[in-house]
Amino acid sequence: MAPQSNRVVELRIPSELGYEKIAREAVATVAHRLNFTKEKVEDIKTAISEACTNAIRYGSGSDARMKVVVILTADEDKLDILIKDPGASGTPPINIDIPDIDGMVEGKRRLGGMGLYIIRELVDEAGFVEASDEDEGNQFRMVIYRVEDNKKESSPEAKASGSENGGLA
Amino acid sequence: MSEEIQVSVRGEGNVTVIDLVGDVTTFAEEAINQAYQSASADGAKNIVFNFRENDYINSAGIAILIGVVTEARKRDQKLLMTGLSAHFQKIFRMVGLTQYADLHPTVTDALASVNGEATT
Repeated sequence: MAPQSNRVVELRIPSELGYEKIAREAVATVAHRLNFTKEKVEDIKTAISEACTNAIRYGSGSDARMKVVVILTADEDKLDILIKDPGASGTPPINIDIPDIDGMVEGKRRLGGMGLYIIRELVDEAGFVEASDEDEGNQFRMVIYRVEDNKKESSPEAKASGSENGGLA
Repeated sequence: MSEEIQVSVRGEGNVTVIDLVGDVTTFAEEAINQAYQSASADGAKNIVFNFRENDYINSAGIAILIGVVTEARKRDQKLLMTGLSAHFQKIFRMVGLTQYADLHPTVTDALASVNGEATT
């Protein structure tokens, strides 16, 4: 089956750590069909794992009665990933800082807080987007372009804005 | 949903190898810390975390390893990591973990590094 434009896969996973692996496997299948390289598929798998983990832990307080919705839209030139959570922890972070591993090792910073940074480094665009009126909670969007040149032509500011405000917001 | 990690400790020459088989996520914290404490209690000075290529490692798992780095520095232990896929080698470099733990392809390579031997 050759990839076709605007194919959408929607998943609803329980808000329980471990279920992010379903999103991880699903996105790998979609990304393979879009002919992403093996390494890029690994990048996408890690990015979606981190995003879903955040949605589970912070966006819905690891309450398995809640759901995290993952929408994968396969387009001709890109893979668009939208992750929705109930927004249990309130406003998501705006800034994505480089992890202060020295501070963590020295005990000056809490361990963790690396997920958003890893995501930003692995995908072309990433950030929280404003939810529509009928949607409540947080929405986190990631975009991965199939051809490097497409990204540069269509979204030259994406990386820069992502580093300052989480991008796409 | 998460694959339970299997962690075991063994001696290999003058290094202690902690083999990790399974997901390295928040659920692995107790097993990894127990293995590390066990190795330390036996006087380990060179500790190799040997991963199984293609296992799932996330940022929570990396945070556990940073916690081990913190303890190892206090004990003047050398940490090495082996078996990581190219992808996770990249992630470990990305977050800065490789400042504190040397990466090698295999346990044999790590052992040679500790002993100052050249590998082919």
